[in-house]
Amino acid sequence: MQARHTLLLDGASLPARELVGGKAWSLARMRALGLNVPPAFVVTTETCKQFHESGGVMPAGLMDEVMAGVAWLEKTTGRRLGAAQRPLLVSVRSGAPVSMPGMMDTVLNLGMSDDSELALARETGAPGFARDTHRRFCEMFARIVLRAEIGALDPSDGPAGWRAAIAARGCGEVPADPAAQLESAIRAVFHSWNGRRARKYRQHHGVPEAMGTAVTVQAMVFGNSDERSGTGVLFSRNPLTGDPVPYGEYLARAQGEDVVSGSHTPEGLDALARRMPEVHRELLSACAVLERDNGDVQDIEFTVERGRLYLLQARPAKRSPAAAVRCAVDMVREGRIGPPEALSRVSAEQVRLLLRPRLPAGFDPSAASFLARGEAASPGVGAGVVAADADEAERLHALGHAVVLARPTTSPEDVHGMLVAAAIATEKGGSTSHAAVVSRQLGVPCVVGCGEGALAGLAGRMVTVDGTSGRVFEGALPVEQPSAGSDPALAALLEWASAEAPLRVLPAGCGVPRATLDLDAIEGGEDPARTAGLLAGTRGASGSVFNTDAGVHAAVEAGLEFIVVREVLPALLAACAARRHAAAAA
Amino acid sequence: MTRFEAMHGLAIKKFGTPAAVADLLGAPPEEVQAGLEAALAEGLAMGAKGAFMLTPKGQQALAAEYPAQFAAHRADPALSAGYERFEAVNTDLKQLITEWQTMTVAGETVPNDHSDADYDNRIIDRLGELHERAEPLLRGLAARLPRLGRYCERLSAALDKAEAGEIAFVSGAKIDSYHTVWFELHEDLLRVLDRSRDD
Repeated sequence: MQARHTLLLDGASLPARELVGGKAWSLARMRALGLNVPPAFVVTTETCKQFHESGGVMPAGLMDEVMAGVAWLEKTTGRRLGAAQRPLLVSVRSGAPVSMPGMMDTVLNLGMSDDSELALARETGAPGFARDTHRRFCEMFARIVLRAEIGALDPSDGPAGWRAAIAARGCGEVPADPAAQLESAIRAVFHSWNGRRARKYRQHHGVPEAMGTAVTVQAMVFGNSDERSGTGVLFSRNPLTGDPVPYGEYLARAQGEDVVSGSHTPEGLDALARRMPEVHRELLSACAVLERDNGDVQDIEFTVERGRLYLLQARPAKRSPAAAVRCAVDMVREGRIGPPEALSRVSAEQVRLLLRPRLPAGFDPSAASFLARGEAASPGVGAGVVAADADEAERLHALGHAVVLARPTTSPEDVHGMLVAAAIATEKGGSTSHAAVVSRQLGVPCVVGCGEGALAGLAGRMVTVDGTSGRVFEGALPVEQPSAGSDPALAALLEWASAEAPLRVLPAGCGVPRATLDLDAIEGGEDPARTAGLLAGTRGASGSVFNTDAGVHAAVEAGLEFIVVREVLPALLAACAARRHAAAAA
Repeated sequence: MTRFEAMHGLAIKKFGTPAAVADLLGAPPEEVQAGLEAALAEGLAMGAKGAFMLTPKGQQALAAEYPAQFAAHRADPALSAGYERFEAVNTDLKQLITEWQTMTVAGETVPNDHSDADYDNRIIDRLGELHERAEPLLRGLAARLPRLGRYCERLSAALDKAEAGEIAFVSGAKIDSYHTVWFELHEDLLRVLDRSRDD
């Protein structure tokens, strides 16, 4: 049969990203690199296009091709979809050529039925796991494919009870036939392309409506099959520190969901090295291959099934601000990327976070005596006189004092006091409380939940709040102000960014050129939305607005020669980003 | 628009122009202006740079007027029930905003520096879903106290901007972000129904 709607990701050729979407392309790329990924096939973006052009009708012959794809998965894995022995389960995921919000979430364990559950229980020797997999499949299918509002299904109800509870929502049923499950899921992916959120995103970002999404159908592998099975994640470098050493977690005899749900505590990668040294070696070599191929730090999900390594997904790793800087600079020094690419990988915001005041390196917050202790809610350190309410904070600030706002809790009424505070502490509430949320937004160090009455007697005293360790210390501790110049990695970025930026950025307090317009002295000068209008005809300007990305963008657009700011590097990075943005738009 | 209503709006804004208070109340700006100027004349508010804030005397006067002004609302079981449902969604919103601001990297919580568009997009998706859940509830509240309908419009506007890529409108503290408007609504309900927040 000549395939028109589907492509097997068998490594024979690398399909075009436009045709198979980003996720399938990445799987195909991994196969082409000789890495072992679970077998998969893809329904192309062309087919999605036809589906919508015909008003939502599944194109003729599509399901025949899909079932032929399933037959190939069955042959490759030695399993059968819906079978009572060695059942094949698959995942179904959406994947447009560009990453886009609003698209359908992944459905796992599709193909699950009463028969498959029994077979899975026999095969793994874990009936509880098989039952739980069945329940999770029903929940996912109901929520994602049927778009039914269901809460968590009651484990004691059993499959018949779950299916009845889902049917009672009136959004459709979970089909017993795996082929029907597959058809519904594919249809749901196509529909999600035209969801409100996805349409809006495309409109705003100029993504063509005709692009369409692909659907990837992939065989599931089982990390809980036996003692030589497990699952984990691997980062090609440490995502917290940026240390150029692979960092990972491994959970023996478990599925990926167990790691995500936090129901089990994973071990370090050495656990894998001890149990299966050859798999560990293969994993590290795959990790090196993927990092070299992609030129960026990789976050790799893997599963080991009966001693065989499978790579499930590889993508650029999420990383802490410190790791972002370290990795970008290291990779330039290793000759993997050039300085412009490094600059594009570090945001102004990341550097602002790194330049927040901190306790000196030799100070151990857990060893020092403290006045109060709570939950660390917003990182950084701030010292000042304690004000017990927002009006008092504003008054002390107006008198030129550094202020710490300490309250039982905060509310919108206190925001004016929070705006002037060097740090914030509260007695009640946790990491989602108003104080925590607003202080993170403002970039102010904050400790919450110190306990009722814990801060009551502090008004008027000098204290230091450490939003990183969650402690309030007596007195003004020596606080270190990190500077870009004293850190070798930041210094390298500073040099590259100065060469790349479309304007000069001068540090405040080092003599300001005479032609400088002071935006802080002009009404509305702190509002980025008005910056552009105020800059017409000037050569250079200073003002707090240039501590924001939007303010720097306005300066670049207005063609300024220079700006004067407190922190040079974040402004330079924002200026470089503005230049890239303009180049991309042109 | 009475002086009381203008002052109530200002108490929620804390420090704001008549236009901003009018937007919150869904009332004509000139009437809010007149109400605030009346409060100013009585020493219940003070003004600077075209914006107003209540004086301590104004705060006290407002608190003294609440029981009589909101007596009917405080006795309305439908409004109380709506408020309880709001609190339930509020818990989810706070969790969602926390995930927006922080992310987990290798088991540790670090600030979300918004460098991962996929991560941000998933949360904005969830904010959209939360808004769809909140809408009927907000309509229910507005059916009892029509002025609250304005919050629904402002929340939709913030969501629109966030979904269109202006991500500051998720939780920006100094703009009418989703979180700012939501908190103003929360504060409004607490004042109308004489409740206090837990955290």
